[in-house]
Order: sequence, then C-alpha cells, then structure tokens
Amino acid sequence: MDFLQSHLLTLVIFAPILGAVIIAFLPRDEGGQHKGVALLASLLTFALSVPLAAGFRPAARGFSFEQRTDWAPNLGFSYHVGLDGVALLLVLLTTFLGPIVVLSSWKYIQDRVKFYCISLLVLETAMVGTLAALDLVLFYVFWEAMLIPMYLLIGMWGSERRIYAAVKFFLFTFVGSVLMLLAIFYLWSHSAPPGQLRTFDYVALQAQMPSLAAGTQKWLFLAFALAFAIKVPVWPLHTWLPDAHTEAPAAGSIVLAGVMLKMGTFGFVRYAMPLFPAAALQYAPAIAALGVVGIVYGSLMCMAQQDLKRLIAYSSVAHLGFVMLGLSALTPEAVNGAVLQMVNHGVSTGALFLIVGYFYERTHTRDLSQYGGVARVAPALSAVFLVVVLSSIGLPGTNGFIGEFLILIGTFTSTTPLGNWGSLPRGQVLSVLAATGVILGAVYMLWMVQRVIFGPKRRAAEHGMTDLTLREWLTVVPLLAAILLIGVYPQPFLSATRVPAEELIQRVARPRAARPQGAGLQRPPDPDLPGAARAEGER
Amino acid sequence: MNFNPSDLQGVLPALILAIGALVLLTSEVFLRASSALASGSGPQGHSERPAGADRRYQAWLAAVFAALGLWAAVAQMGDPAAPLFSGAAVTDGFARVIAAVVCGALVLSCFVSFGYLEALRATRGEYYALALFSASGMCLLGQATDLIVIFISLEVMSLAVYCLSAYLRRGQRPAEAAFKYFVLGSFAAAIFLYGAALAYGATGSTRLADVANAVRLAASGGSPAGTTTLLFAAAALLASGFAFKVAAVPFHMWVPDVYDGAPAPVTGFMAAAVKVAAFATLVRILVGGFGEPSVALGPHGWQKLVVWLSALTMLLGNLLAVPQRSVKRMLAYSSIAHAGYLLVAVAAMAGAQPRADALEGLLFYLAAYGATVIGAFGVVALIERKDALAGAGDDLSSWAGLSERHPGLAAAMTLFMVSLAGIPPTAGFMAKVTVFRAAIAADLVPLAVLGVLTSVAGLYYYLRVVVYVYMVPQTKAEPVAGGHLIAAGIALAGCAALVLWMGIQPDTFARLAQSATTSFAR
Repeated sequence: MDFLQSHLLTLVIFAPILGAVIIAFLPRDEGGQHKGVALLASLLTFALSVPLAAGFRPAARGFSFEQRTDWAPNLGFSYHVGLDGVALLLVLLTTFLGPIVVLSSWKYIQDRVKFYCISLLVLETAMVGTLAALDLVLFYVFWEAMLIPMYLLIGMWGSERRIYAAVKFFLFTFVGSVLMLLAIFYLWSHSAPPGQLRTFDYVALQAQMPSLAAGTQKWLFLAFALAFAIKVPVWPLHTWLPDAHTEAPAAGSIVLAGVMLKMGTFGFVRYAMPLFPAAALQYAPAIAALGVVGIVYGSLMCMAQQDLKRLIAYSSVAHLGFVMLGLSALTPEAVNGAVLQMVNHGVSTGALFLIVGYFYERTHTRDLSQYGGVARVAPALSAVFLVVVLSSIGLPGTNGFIGEFLILIGTFTSTTPLGNWGSLPRGQVLSVLAATGVILGAVYMLWMVQRVIFGPKRRAAEHGMTDLTLREWLTVVPLLAAILLIGVYPQPFLSATRVPAEELIQRVARPRAARPQGAGLQRPPDPDLPGAARAEGER
Repeated sequence: MNFNPSDLQGVLPALILAIGALVLLTSEVFLRASSALASGSGPQGHSERPAGADRRYQAWLAAVFAALGLWAAVAQMGDPAAPLFSGAAVTDGFARVIAAVVCGALVLSCFVSFGYLEALRATRGEYYALALFSASGMCLLGQATDLIVIFISLEVMSLAVYCLSAYLRRGQRPAEAAFKYFVLGSFAAAIFLYGAALAYGATGSTRLADVANAVRLAASGGSPAGTTTLLFAAAALLASGFAFKVAAVPFHMWVPDVYDGAPAPVTGFMAAAVKVAAFATLVRILVGGFGEPSVALGPHGWQKLVVWLSALTMLLGNLLAVPQRSVKRMLAYSSIAHAGYLLVAVAAMAGAQPRADALEGLLFYLAAYGATVIGAFGVVALIERKDALAGAGDDLSSWAGLSERHPGLAAAMTLFMVSLAGIPPTAGFMAKVTVFRAAIAADLVPLAVLGVLTSVAGLYYYLRVVVYVYMVPQTKAEPVAGGHLIAAGIALAGCAALVLWMGIQPDTFARLAQSATTSFAR
C-alpha cells in the first residue's frame, strides 16, 4: 500500500502501456480480446487516477505526488514526476477520455485492431507522462512520443487524405519541438558553472532561470512558444489542424482535440511563461492578439465549412484562442478560466467528435449537405448532439459558459500585462473582440445543428441512421455528466487551479508584488461587462 | 623504434580480429581440398551451382572472433591510458570504445550477412576474412597516433572494404561501386599523405604528439613565420582525407553509388564501422594533434572549417535524400546527413571547456547510429535479396504493405527509421541530445539550429518509409525471398534491443562514453 501511495502517479502513467504489452502478446486475429484488454487498461488507468483527485490538496504550493528516481545521472536527467492543479485536471481529463475513446471505436475499427489498441494505449501513456513530467528531457521524451502513435492513428485508420494529413501533422509539430529541444539544452548548459554537474530538472531550473538576461530569455521563450503555439494551435500556425482532425478516425480526433491540443496551452502555463517571465510579459499582448485573431478567424472559417469534422476542427481554433487570450491576460480570473476552458474544450469538443464519429459510422459521409432531419430518425442521438453543441457555445448551465465568462471578465480587467493602445486598455478592446467570437460561435454551431438534425430528411437520414446503442450511451453519458457538473458546480475545478494560477501570475506579472489573494472568483457577474451582456443575449 | 612485446596487449582487439581473419583464410585452404576431393568437380568460384553448405561455420567463427575483440575492448575499459610502440599508437578509453563499437558492429553484421549470403548462395571464403581484416584496421585507426600508422591502418581498412563492396561481382552495379570507391578512396588517401608530408615538413616528425608541440609553439609565437601556415595547410589536408571517409560534403560523391551497389549487409557495416573509425581518426588528428584551443578557435583554426563542412553536409545530405525512391540510396544520403551531425560534435571539440561533452556526444552518437543503421540495412538486406543478383535497385514500392506480410520486420524498420530521425524513445534521440547539447554548450547555436531544422527534412524521408510500410496497401503479396531468416532475425532483434536500450536507459552507454573522455590521451 505504501508502494502504491508513493508510486501512484507512475502507475497512472504506465498502466496503459502495461495493457499495450499484454495486447502485444495476444494472438493477432482476436480483435475482441484486444479491445477488451485496451478497455480494461484504460479503465484501470482511470480508476488509479481517482485517488489522485481525492488525495490532492488544492491549497498546497509546489507539486503533489512527486516522485524522483535516477534515470541517467551521467547525462544529467532524472525520472521526476509530479502534479500541480493544472496538470491534475488535465491528467484526469486524459484518463477520463481513455475508456470512452476505446469504446467509441469498438465497432468502427475492424482492421488491424491489435495495432490500433496498442497505439491508443501508448498514446495515453505519452500524454499523461507529458503532463506529469518535471524533468525537461523526460517531458520532451513524452512530448515527442505522443507523435508516433497519433501519426499512425491518422495515417492507418484515417479517411482518404490520411497520409497527407498524418505527415503534415508530424512535420509541423516536429519543427517546433526541435527548436524547443535546443532551448532546453541552453538551459541545461547554463544551469551550473562549467565543470559542475548540470541539470534538466524543472524545479531546479525554474528557481534560477529568471536571472537570465532579457535578450536571452526572449529567444528561449520564442523557441518554447513556437513548439507550444503549433500544438495549440495559435493562428497562423493552425493549418495542420483541420487536416489532421478531418482525416483522423473518430477516436483519433477525440484524443487530438480532447487532450493533445491542451498540451500546447499546458506548455505555456508550465514551461514557456514561468521559465521566462520577463519575455512572457513582453509578448503577452502579441499572444493575446493572436488568440483573438484565432477566435474570430476560426469562427468565420467554421461558417464556410461543408465538412462536419472540419467545422468542429476550426471551432477548436476559436476555442483555444480563448484559452490563449486568458493565459496572456494574466489576471486570476482569466488564468483560472483559461485552465478550466482547457478541460471544457476537451470534454465538449471531444464529445462533438464522438457524436460526429457516430454519424459518420452510420452514414459514411461528413458532408453537411447530405444531412438533415436526423432528429426524426435518431431523436436521442440528436438530443445529445444538441446538448453538446450548446455546451460548446457556452450556454449558461453548461461547462463552456464558466470558462469563457471568466476569460472575458479577466481579460477586460487586465491592465499591466496587456498594456494600453493610446488611452484605451488593450484588455477591454480584446475582450470585446473576443466576445464577438462567442456570438459567431453560436451562429455557426446552431446553424450546423439546424442543418444536421432539423429540416427535411435527406440522404444521410435515410440510410442506416439508427439511434444510440447501449455501448454508445455508455460513452455519451459520462461526457454529458461532466458537461453539466462543471457547468453547475465548477468550484472544485477552480480551486484546484487557483494556486498554480496565482503562482504563475505572481511570477510573470508581479515579480516583486505581494502574494495575491486569489479573490474575485466568486464575484457576481457585473451586468456592465460585455461578457455578461452576451451571456444575457444568448438566453 | 623499440619493440616491447607487452605493447601487443594494448592492441589486443585488433590482434584478435587479424588472427581471426588469418584462421578463416587458412581454414579455407583445407576446405577447398576436401570439398574438391569429395565432389570431384572443378573450381567453384564462378560456377552457378550452390556453394557448399560447409562454409557456414565461417560466419559463426567470424562472429566469435568479433565477440572476442569486443570482450577484449570492454575488459580493458578501466585501464589507464598508455602509449604503445614508443608513441606510434596509444591505448586509452577512447580507443577502447571505438574498438568495442567496431567489434559490436561486426558481430551484428556477421549475423545479417549469414542469411543474406546463404539465400543468394554466395557464401565464399573471403567474405568474413575481409570483414575481419577491415575491422582490425578500424581498431588500429582508433589507436594510431602517428601519421604513418594512421595511413597504414587506413589502407588495411579501406582495401578490405573496397573488396567487400564488390563482393557480388556478377552484378554490374557492385563493380561500378567498388571501382568508384577505390579510385576516389585512393585520391583521398593521396590528399591525406600530402597533408602528412606538410606536417612532417613543419615539425620534422609524424607523431601527433610532436605536431601538438609544434602547434603549441606556433601559438605562442615561438616558431618561424611560415610554420603556422604550413601547419594550417596540413590540418586542412589531413582533415579532408578523412572528410572523404566520413562522407562529408563536398567529399560525398561516392557515397550513394557505393552504398547502393554494395550488398546491403556490407553497406550497413560500412555505414556503421567505417564511420566510427574515420571519426575516431579525425578526432585524434584534429584534437590530439591540432587541438590547442587558441589555435583551433582562431581566425584560421579548424573549427571554422569543420563548422562549414558540417553545415554543408547536414544541408545537402538531408535535402538530397528527400527525392530518393530507393531506400538504399535514401539511407546513403541519410548517412551523409548523419556525418554532418557528427561533425557538429567535432566542431564543438575546438574549445577546451565543452570538449568532454562533445567527445561523449560523438561516441554515443557513433554507437547509436551504428546499431540503428546496421538494423536498417539488415531489413533492406531481407527485402532486396531477390533483386540483388539481378542487379535491380530497390524501390519504395517493394516496401508497400510490408506490415501485412511481415509485421515484425515492419515494426523493426519503423523503429530504425524513428531512431534515425532522432525521436524518443530511441537511441537516435539520446544521440541527438548528447551531440546538440554539446554544441549549445560550445556556443555553436546557429549550427545547432541548422542541424535540428535539417533533421525535419530528415523526418520527412524517414516517415515516407513508414508510410509505405504501414499505410500504402501492398501491391504484391509475396513474402521476402529465401529462408535463413533466423540469423537475420537475431541480428535485427539485437539491433532493435540496442536501439531501445540506448534510448530508454542511456546511462550505461553514457558512462562508457564518459570514461573514454576522461582518459583521452593527447
């Protein structure tokens, strides 16, 4: 039991890969067994991660569940893992989506099932590892280890242009990563005077890196930020995303949208901003502006799409624009909201891709013009789709509302980090612009719902469109529950991220100021604010 | 020169390999007689009939000798560094690691070759003996500290490798490849000799230690005006000679044709082991002879030379690999690209401070690349068996859908490609870490940036193999040719295990590499 306690996080990281090893030894043609083991492994991972949530003390500073073992002392890196509130939420999101992903592809994937299950499980290990790593090399290893299984998932089980999409996805991500790797080496080579043992340890590096010269910080920040911005993706580096999302099989899209994109925003929170606070502050307005461009651009692109998955892919660009805006606003509300929005986007967009995947399984088309009248044939499926869409829009009572609202309010009140345009505070301008994105979001999403489930029955509704099966219900219900839970009772999630958000803000925006109080989360909505106004308008 | 018999112990790995070669050659004499008596037929060389199965022992014997050499190198690992043969050679940690990598590469190559040669019915007597001779030359190259000894070892290695690359002599391409290799190789040897002559002219000695003293004297301004120029010219020419062997641009012209024309197991051995030996010598000459930091980093120092060489090599190697459709040619250009990354480590050795980092990186990279590339060519050897005798080149289309016919082979090839691209958790990634962090520590940031960016192009062509293996449906359902898959399987499993081991648990190898840097005799 003691062992279990002290190695809990490690167990969560490697439980999926254990399943993958077992599957590797199963006979090749027993697809059912492979899926069964994959499901069990991902359920076990989720079960193991529940004690993480239960044992987490949100008020604690630093990292919980820390474990540190020698890995390669001669090379200067160690196996060092731990979680703060942000990472914990994302780890839970990952392990939560794990069984859903396996279940969702139960029927659709009939080809090379063994390899498919192994890829999914390895991917899960890599994702949890990326979130938990506290050593830069360990982080990078997991970070790049995510690419191969995802590449195979897209390339082997995707639709027509899968190879193009898979290679594009891999190359884009890789370009950013390699420069980050060099920046990591720079940190290593400057972590100790020549001749002494240098380190890749995040905690140690974080303690000494603010002392870097501003010019150096700038380049290092840009190297890290490029890697993360491609992953997020921040406009204009997003072009790989619509292709990858569209061509990937449903499970791949769920993982990609649900978790992998968050690795980029997580990277900003964990690495790029706290390691190089001066540079982060300097570039905050630029990143916020790019975030807003992403929101508006993504929303406009959504309106023009004829392909269901492509539409949702572009909506991801918009949603993650909100996250980037919130992170660079650097107020407690905005950062908390941004972190919560990461989770929300994972749940909502994951659910959207799941349901669109179910549509596709039934009709083998993603073309919007083929759809229409689905509600008459598959009422439950349509109802679930509607709820998920509403949460993605940010309807009050669903998870999306809380996140977007906090981000907008936090950006509106942000002063120092974002600065002014003349006499106009940039925060206010940006949040107004971002709020138009919310309206656009309602437009394209509701339009999509209208075209898919209402109206006269079209081709897609005629052929084989059946309602949710029991297995599909099993995948949908947890997501719906999460959507409503976060929407109604976000407090546990917000309190988990409060301390890390404070620390980030203190590090970046107020290097010498007193510790902030973290108040303001419970502040009632101010009717004068555009965020609140738009929430009213939507109802 | 005084000959001290106990010095022989210092060159034990090379000695074991040479003895092994002689044993194999001698055994051939008895074998020929007995088989001729038994079958009563004429000479076997050119006839189309199957070579006797009785030559199979040669592969195993060669592997045993190579393993013995590996054991000898590893067993001496902790011993202090000592000069041998009154300074003509040296035994130190660096040389032992080089010998260990060469012997390890040879062991794996013996396994790969066995199945290949048996399947093509091309097992003849001299193959393994030549491989052992070349490996013995490589081990000596890692130890030589005298320009004459370097030259002799170089020729021992090269001549054997020229013959090996022409081994399937019935095809047209092997002959062309070997001829090209031989002519250009001799040209490079001549350049090297010219450099050696200049060095002798400037210092009056061919010992690297004397060269180092002269360089130090020149740095402090205590030598005649012309000496410095002469020394720079010597360093440039000596380096050029070995830039040819490591396949650096612009000395790379021979590589694609030779790699393509030679039998795949030979190509793998060449890519792994010749590169190791050549880089070892390059380091011996540049760091051991001309390594005085104030000179090396100076306005005419060799660092600048190596930086340019490295930049060109990385850029052209990677870009030229992109359009290749033959996997062998792609791997040839990839080998050029990897020479560029290794040259990054050499460039980082110019300064005194990061020298240990860079040496460690170089050795780790050489070992990682060796394990990976032998594995990759091992897979190529299995695929191309059928075409090899017909003289046809391999094409990516013959890789289509490999994962459906041979899932194990497909997984192994993917692993090797991933390692070559430098993606975790493989040896290639850890190698990239060790080399590029040394470059960053040596303030070679632009070179490192160029290196990692060109590696993105590298990723593209490595991924293309994976695309064909996994994602393109197969065009022909035939399995790979011939039997004898067990030996190749052992070799591939060994390479894959090494690649993963070095990628996941790099510490053992890092410790070895570090021990080599602490006892690098200058």
